Amino acid sequence: MPIVFAGAASHAPGMTAWTEAAPKEQADKFLGNYRRLGEMLAASKPDAIVALSVEHWANFFLNQMPSFCIGRARHYDGPVEEWLRIPKARVPGDAKLSAEVIDACLDGGFDPSFSDELLFDHATFLPLHFLNPGMAVPVVPVIINTLTPPMPTAMRCFAMGQFLGNVLEQHPKRIAVIATGGLSHWPGEAKHGKINIPFDKRFLDTLISGDRTKLTEYSHEEINVEAGSGGHEIRTWIALAGAVQNWKAELLAYEPVVPWATGCGLVAFSR
Amino acid sequence: MSLYQLQKLIYHVNRDPAQRERYRQDPVSFVKNYDLSDDEAKAALNVDVRALYTMGVHSLLLRPFTLLHKVSNEDYAKALKGLE
Repeated sequence: MPIVFAGAASHAPGMTAWTEAAPKEQADKFLGNYRRLGEMLAASKPDAIVALSVEHWANFFLNQMPSFCIGRARHYDGPVEEWLRIPKARVPGDAKLSAEVIDACLDGGFDPSFSDELLFDHATFLPLHFLNPGMAVPVVPVIINTLTPPMPTAMRCFAMGQFLGNVLEQHPKRIAVIATGGLSHWPGEAKHGKINIPFDKRFLDTLISGDRTKLTEYSHEEINVEAGSGGHEIRTWIALAGAVQNWKAELLAYEPVVPWATGCGLVAFSR
Repeated sequence: MSLYQLQKLIYHVNRDPAQRERYRQDPVSFVKNYDLSDDEAKAALNVDVRALYTMGVHSLLLRPFTLLHKVSNEDYAKALKGLE
């Protein structure tokens, strides 16, 4: 079976750790749609979820920082953050699918690193909490370095997504692909709390109704200035756009939630 | 300058409970395990948010490190005021 589901979602620790700090209407609307995206994922009856994600010094440090790392573990523990108000759990992996994807990448000219042990911090765990309740579906994480420069370019992330999309389309399993990160935010920086709504809207417009190949034109500098250090995570969305290039996209929610310090978006794709 | 070493120290304290405990027991000795300039060592020992930030410590290393030292959101923002 080909890819059966694709969706993109922002993550921010405040979504669960300090939910009530956000205006109730905004929190309800966003998190309600997060659960709705989860219901759409469940309805697609996937055998596995490929998660295009990021991390925040949970596994990698400056002594070794892969641009792309595919998890190949039998399970992943998380969340790293004790204070996230999400119970700790062991997320099942699909080591066989991981190995097949890694082999296909290497055979096809993409050279990701791989890891048999990855912890999930809020970046991966929080979206799975909403999209994969009970952690019922096994996960293959694809961690993109959006944390510290130099990072893979938007163009390379799109191409990686395209490549991955082709591999997954030919796989016998039913596979859901999710992307998580962004949109604009400046976590822990002097500009912490700023959200660039025009940037976020332009990005979503291009993703949803524009020419998706234009997403490859974002430069590191533009993202850094306009969307902040946290905005680099849009590379996961760009990779997903590459994976399902011809699918339609629907905006489920966009909420610039100041107490969560993040422009929060949710997009569902369909053939 | 040894930003790598400074960030390594903070990474260890943030992420490794055993190292964090050693740091808590005797920060002055702990800091000597890293190849830091005098200013870097001083900034780390004083948890000088503004100095560490200006030296280039990654914000997602710095904020968890300062949270371990009970630096509130307000005090953190105040320390970085004017650096926007």
